[in-house]
Amino acid sequence: MPAEARPSLGSIALTFATIAATSFGGGQKASIRRQVLARGWIDSDRFLEGLEIAQVLPGPNLLNLAIYCGQKARGVPGALAAFAGVSIPPFAIVLVAGALYFKFASNPFVHGGLRGCAAGALGLTLGNALELTWDERKSWLSVALVAATALAVSLLHVPLLPVLAIFGGAGILSEWLRARKRSED
Amino acid sequence: METLIHLLSVFSQLSILGFGGGKGIIPQMHTDAVTTYRWVNSEQFTQFYTIGKLVPGPTTIFAALIGYAALPQRPLLGAAVATAAMFVPSSLIMIGFDSLEERFAASPWRAIVSRGLAPAIVGLVWSSVPTIARGAPSSVAAYVTSAVVVILMLRTKINAPLLILLCGAVGIALLR
Repeated sequence: MPAEARPSLGSIALTFATIAATSFGGGQKASIRRQVLARGWIDSDRFLEGLEIAQVLPGPNLLNLAIYCGQKARGVPGALAAFAGVSIPPFAIVLVAGALYFKFASNPFVHGGLRGCAAGALGLTLGNALELTWDERKSWLSVALVAATALAVSLLHVPLLPVLAIFGGAGILSEWLRARKRSED
Repeated sequence: METLIHLLSVFSQLSILGFGGGKGIIPQMHTDAVTTYRWVNSEQFTQFYTIGKLVPGPTTIFAALIGYAALPQRPLLGAAVATAAMFVPSSLIMIGFDSLEERFAASPWRAIVSRGLAPAIVGLVWSSVPTIARGAPSSVAAYVTSAVVVILMLRTKINAPLLILLCGAVGIALLR
């Protein structure tokens, strides 16, 4: 298996930079998996473990997963190389986009284009909300928590920390009770 | 200097609270960046979010654009500080978790926490809809465009940036 069991920090950074710079609209997890397994940086079970941790902890999944793989390959320096690889290309690209934005946003054609794009992003967000809610449909309590959270944030403007503490806490409590009940059965 | 400290504090808090890949932080980010500090207006916020979805990498990279706008005399510094604050704290948690990993290996807590937090994150995504809508065009043509995107997203495999670009073309034609 280990084709490159101890990769250089440069190759870790470059691998993730390439993935980050070409990750248009998802599919990054599959390409990370392919690359790190082929290079023997990590085995398949470890990768799945990392994917789970990357999704539980805060932060972008792509960034967390890259850090996990980099750290398994080369310890903390490997994690830092992965961090640099994932963050720098998107940062550079978004800066160029920002410079163009401030230069041209008042041009009527650009302005119209941006407004159209914004309508598209709004549609994607709504689609995402529908899709994620569909995933929760099996439990009435989950659906109620979804609705209660949305109302608390949008109508009562409850800040993020108390929202996560109250509604996230309630969700965790109910999952815990459910898991305990299952283990008693 | 004061703005830099505010950028650091706002985005590092969002970073640490960015569960579910950061999908849930949009309403709070809008409150901080638009209502509290007035770094950008609602239309800019929505357009920056849109650019974040359009460029490769994590969507939350659009924090850079808010930092850019917040510090007009030193835009690159503002962008760098906002991005570092957005990405570094959660990454440090990820790096630090490595030493706890053995203790939590195969622990039921991981599934309990991620499934338990999910409904609150989904609720926050719902709240992102009116937040983003505040800065999106409000005309029949725009709403139809958004609705078509919802259908295309749920029914086809066209990827997100491509859908946004197609809407950009519609916008050039109809939303000037």
